[in-house]
Amino acid sequence: MSNPATSSLLPLCQLSAGSMGMVIELKGEGTFRQRVRELGFGESTAVKKVSGKSTIICQVNGTRIALSHDAARQIMVRPSHPPVSA
Amino acid sequence: MSLPAHVKSGTKQPVYAFVGNPNCGKSTLFNALTGLKQKIGNYPGVTVERKVGTAYSQHGQPMTVIDLPGAYSLAARSPDEAVTRDVLLGRRTNDTEMPDRIVCIVDGSNLERNLYLVHQILDLGRPVILVVNMMDLADKAGLKVRTGQLEQELGIPVIAAEASRGKGLIELKLAMSRPDLPLPHHRWDVPAAISSAVAEIQASLQDNDQKPPLIARAEALLLLTDQDQLRVAGSQPLSDRTAAILDGWKKRWSDEGTDWSGTLVGARYDAIGTLVQDCVQTSDQTVDQSTSDKIDAVVTHGFWGWAVLGGIMTALFLSIFTLAEHPMNWIDAGTVALADGVKAAMPAGDFRDLVTDGVIAGVGGVLIFLPQILILFFFIGMLESTGYMARAAFIMDRLMSRVGLNGKSFIPLLSSYACAIPGIMATRTIEDPKDRLVTILVAPFMSCSARLPVYLLMIAALLPTGEVPLATKVGLMILMYAMGTIGAFGFAWLFKRTLLKGEPPLMIMELPPYRRPRVKDVAMQMAERAGLFLKRAGTIILAISIVLWALTTYPKSDDAINPAEQVAQSYAGQAGKLIEPVIAPLGFNWEIGIGLISSFAAREVFVSATSVVFNVEEDEEDTAPLLEALRRATWPDGRALFTPLVCFTLMVFYVFAMQCVSTLAVVKRETNSWRWPLFQVGYQTGFAWLLCLIIYQTGTALGF
Ligand SMILES: Nc1nc2c(ncn2[C@@H]2O[C@H](COP(=O)(O)OP(=O)(O)O)[C@@H](O)[C@H]2O)c(=O)[nH]1
Ligand SMILES: [Mg+2]
Repeated sequence: MSNPATSSLLPLCQLSAGSMGMVIELKGEGTFRQRVRELGFGESTAVKKVSGKSTIICQVNGTRIALSHDAARQIMVRPSHPPVSA
Repeated sequence: MSLPAHVKSGTKQPVYAFVGNPNCGKSTLFNALTGLKQKIGNYPGVTVERKVGTAYSQHGQPMTVIDLPGAYSLAARSPDEAVTRDVLLGRRTNDTEMPDRIVCIVDGSNLERNLYLVHQILDLGRPVILVVNMMDLADKAGLKVRTGQLEQELGIPVIAAEASRGKGLIELKLAMSRPDLPLPHHRWDVPAAISSAVAEIQASLQDNDQKPPLIARAEALLLLTDQDQLRVAGSQPLSDRTAAILDGWKKRWSDEGTDWSGTLVGARYDAIGTLVQDCVQTSDQTVDQSTSDKIDAVVTHGFWGWAVLGGIMTALFLSIFTLAEHPMNWIDAGTVALADGVKAAMPAGDFRDLVTDGVIAGVGGVLIFLPQILILFFFIGMLESTGYMARAAFIMDRLMSRVGLNGKSFIPLLSSYACAIPGIMATRTIEDPKDRLVTILVAPFMSCSARLPVYLLMIAALLPTGEVPLATKVGLMILMYAMGTIGAFGFAWLFKRTLLKGEPPLMIMELPPYRRPRVKDVAMQMAERAGLFLKRAGTIILAISIVLWALTTYPKSDDAINPAEQVAQSYAGQAGKLIEPVIAPLGFNWEIGIGLISSFAAREVFVSATSVVFNVEEDEEDTAPLLEALRRATWPDGRALFTPLVCFTLMVFYVFAMQCVSTLAVVKRETNSWRWPLFQVGYQTGFAWLLCLIIYQTGTALGF
């Protein structure tokens, strides 16, 4: 909970529902990373997490994308509104 | 050599391919343009649906139109996408001409993602028409797509459309009728980090694989992102030299730490970003997704989601088993009437018996399932066109991942409750080849409707008439379905841990927005499926019926007094006696053996086969005489044959054994080898035998 400007990266699965973030880094295998990028979910894309815990729905560029928890764990995002700033 | 269509104007019917992301409205547009002039089949070697139609230009000239499977990228991840890629690249010229011109359809409300595929296609250097569909949704989302600007920047015709209301159709037809479609200006700089590799691979493709220059460049770019190199049967392979160069570069980049695929995808998205910035105006109006979200909040909910899915499945099964009853009776009455008519019209003899007992009875016995199959496809069509199916797969993913599969296996398994064949065909959307194979292997465990008549007969035979409460019958029926389902999941779990080991795939899928279903499209899809099913009944099943008839009829004996004796010494009877030692420990005798063998045509044939074996005059709709005969049947030593235990064991055998030639044929075509269908015969029937042995022997020991 230090400085909101340099807020650390979170895996997408830990982003709280309703908040926005930006994709910074993709982990996992090459094929997975490529698929995610090709779906328009690559680095520096803005995402909004809509809902979900075990399976996750998020909004990317006007479409809803559903991911399993394991997939969401591979996508590192920087929250646009860190939880500390009310 | 394929020249652009405008060069050989008028000499040959132009070939158009329709390409786009899944759910962009491709099929709607294709149906509107080609109407009923469609030919639906399969790409040889893979069970990917091949749809080709004929449209007419403004001047009445016929044009061939191919509706390719939906794809997000030319870097294929599923057999569906591989077919799209290979047709476009002219790698399937054995069965499908390389299209001269390409119509790219994009969803206007999600241009950026949709343009990714277009960007890859523009590399091909062939004439392209861009259709920006779903303009109504784009409007609603506050997006103004300036098609004029897009046209200028890309140098190709761009058409705004709303396919579901027929808007833009005329404009598209006009553009397709143009003899001189321009080539796109697609000056796009390959990122420096990989450009020399692209050049080298391109040169090798031209020299060693005889590709025309532009295709070679496009293919070179593609090879860098086509990570798993998915090849489907019927597609031409890469030359060794080119493959070696490609591997060399990949090794080098891995050592240097260059993420070549990421670089390439990123560069494309950058170019698209610039394009979209110029051509799309966004207003501040926020996208109204509240309705979709409200529905999603319920149907993906941890509890309500399951409740909704359970409700829909219940409705589906109730409809399959109740609504279909009357039409099934009509078909049954129709076949009986037809057979009687033929009997009256033709002189008695082997040929008449072949027609009535072989052809009409055999094909009619399978046709009877048409109503159920139509109802199933009606449900699947409705669920797909409303957008719910993706949600069902989404919530099923939680359950499926426990056994190592993902949500996409749900639809094939669901379809298999009607018939394993459409179920196995539906596995083509599963990306991971191992998951696909596991789904194919376990799909036949789902109790298909062909087992239903056997269950019904056995339940009736098992429980003495009269005082049986309905609940017991229903309970037994549910038990059979539950056993099959548990078996499917259990074996999937086992296979994913042993034979086809692999990480559970990371599921990522698009959830399309909810839409009002278009009854016309659903009806058309049902008609397509029905057509495919009828074709199958008219070919494979017809042939098998004739063979089976011959096996139960020949060799003729001179002194057979009644049909039962005739059957007993026929080839089928001999086969039944041959397998009796194997099935006797399960409590089955050779007469049941004949039923088991004939079930290979279709499981429900068991009922008609036992009628023949026990010499019952087949009486339409009335199984009472057959039931009596079953109760009277004994072993040579006088023990009753169809004890409740044997009836139950027989039902269990039907749940698990692989007994369907048509399914085996589809699995063979799907997996491209006899290995997997034979494996299915072995493990399913082996398991069925073992389980039945345990049940029968334990049951006997306990005094049942
Ligand atoms: N709102 C809207 N819906 C459309 C339009 N075009 C097609 N649809 C609907 O989008 C859904 C998917 O269309 P389909 O043709 O099956 O897409 P495909 O997967 O690309 O073949 C169907 O429910 C269509 O009725 C359109 O222009 N506007
Ligand atoms: Mg379609």
